[in-house]
Amino acid sequence: MLCDRCKKRDAKIYYTEVVNGEMKEQHLCEECAAECTQFHMNSTFVNKDISIGDILSSILGTYRGSTNQKADQGKNGNTEEPTKEKKTDHTLRCENCGMTYEQFLKEGKFGCHQCYHYFNKILSRSLKSLHGADAHVGKHPKGYVSDMKRIINELSEVEKMSILLQEAIEKEEFEEAARLRDAIRALKEKEREKQQDNTQPKKDEVNKEEINNA
Amino acid sequence: MPKWYEEQGNESDVVISSRIRLARNFVKYPFSPKLSSEQAELLCEELHNRIDDNKAALEEVMGKYYYYSVSKANDIEKQALVERHIISNKLARKNQHAGVIMTEDESVSLMLNEDDHIRIQVIQNGLNLLPALEKANAIDDIISEFMQYAYDDKLGYLTSSPTNVGTGLRASVMVYLPALGSSDKLEKIIEEVNKYGVSIRGMYGEGNKSVAYIYQVSNMKTLGMSEVDTLENLTTIVEQIIKQERKRREYLLDTNFDKYEDQVYRSYGVLRYAKQITTADAMTLLAQIKFGFDSKIITSKEKTSFYKIMMAIQPANLQKILGKNAGTKEREKARAAFLNKNLPELV
Repeated sequence: MLCDRCKKRDAKIYYTEVVNGEMKEQHLCEECAAECTQFHMNSTFVNKDISIGDILSSILGTYRGSTNQKADQGKNGNTEEPTKEKKTDHTLRCENCGMTYEQFLKEGKFGCHQCYHYFNKILSRSLKSLHGADAHVGKHPKGYVSDMKRIINELSEVEKMSILLQEAIEKEEFEEAARLRDAIRALKEKEREKQQDNTQPKKDEVNKEEINNA
Repeated sequence: MPKWYEEQGNESDVVISSRIRLARNFVKYPFSPKLSSEQAELLCEELHNRIDDNKAALEEVMGKYYYYSVSKANDIEKQALVERHIISNKLARKNQHAGVIMTEDESVSLMLNEDDHIRIQVIQNGLNLLPALEKANAIDDIISEFMQYAYDDKLGYLTSSPTNVGTGLRASVMVYLPALGSSDKLEKIIEEVNKYGVSIRGMYGEGNKSVAYIYQVSNMKTLGMSEVDTLENLTTIVEQIIKQERKRREYLLDTNFDKYEDQVYRSYGVLRYAKQITTADAMTLLAQIKFGFDSKIITSKEKTSFYKIMMAIQPANLQKILGKNAGTKEREKARAAFLNKNLPELV
């Protein structure tokens, strides 16, 4: 179908305008649509989903705006703060791939997985407004070990047991606590023997006291 | 092997298909905005090789697959894949190396170097989100074992767009809503489901004015809700929509049977004897005929998958059937001829 206006190019846009309750329908080509309506789209936009980048940068943009505004409000009290904050916005940049926050706003996409880390501060608020949450619930890659688990795995046997002991005391499970206390003692004893240190062996009074206090 | 859309699923009067898509990226490569052409080529090659190394395990889950280099395909081939929903528009237009691993029945496709490094897509007919997710998860697990995913303790799977971060899951159900779509009810429903993080969009054509009343209902949020909860939420909403659509159809037929009967027969007549027809017109009329079959106004000997016919008459797929490039006019004639021949015989 040809464009209703220029009658030369193919009509690609179906444009409906309501003026004073009167509806006017037109089939327009991209050029005429851009010229005679408020319709602004570049050719890549046609037939594509609404650019997430556009929506995104408006959401992220508002957040940026609001932090600046807040900073501006604080101008009376402290003149240095607002300029500082503005500066960090502009220079915020992923050190791994070099993507700046400005660039990210434009494209709506990250340059690498580290961007999430470098933009973390601004991001967590906007993620909340996008998803209503800022933490993942659900699947993880097969065999994935979380940071927390990794840290626990790296602890020594004694440290692990001390955590469990603390937990048992908090839950008032004294039998379990006593068992752990003895186990820790035995382990420490062994370590001491291994090291064959000359230092005076100290008795583990702390845990005992804690148990009695709990 | 029959394609997924050649067989009818459950709730087929309203639901056409269920689709799961998981977006995944690898630590090893930068994300799409920073991925160079050389890196794109390496990524596709490495992924293709690693997938082939695990062929036995993958084929056990998804069936026989083959690799298709999207960047080397011609425009019609690419467009035909888009029309059949095997690849996205974005992948077809990518000016870097891109590929797709697809199964014979076209129900599984792994898009390589789309917006994310890999996108796992599983389609099933009918309302079947959970089985589709299970299949996608099984494929996902195999991939995660041979290449390290970008994953964060707090944020989950890291995606190139923050709109997918977390589960990376987009679940959608394609539905056919002629009764709700032709009234103002749908707009209210769209508004309502938005509150639950679900969107409804026209599949063909722009905005809510969808050609052929085919819509896509999908989740919007990917963070803070588990995969299964997301699907349960979406399924509940789709079931509500199905109920309302059926109620509305009943109402329309009760109050105006003669009008709809006439419309169905007219549509059938046009498609049976038209000599040339555009895609949009053909889709609209096919939708009317489907409505006729679903509401038993007309019946045929064999069950017909209207969705299969709808896909066959799309411009690129039609040219594939023709086996040659064809201009608009030639296509319109070929489309009419195809429909004249392939419409089910009425009894």
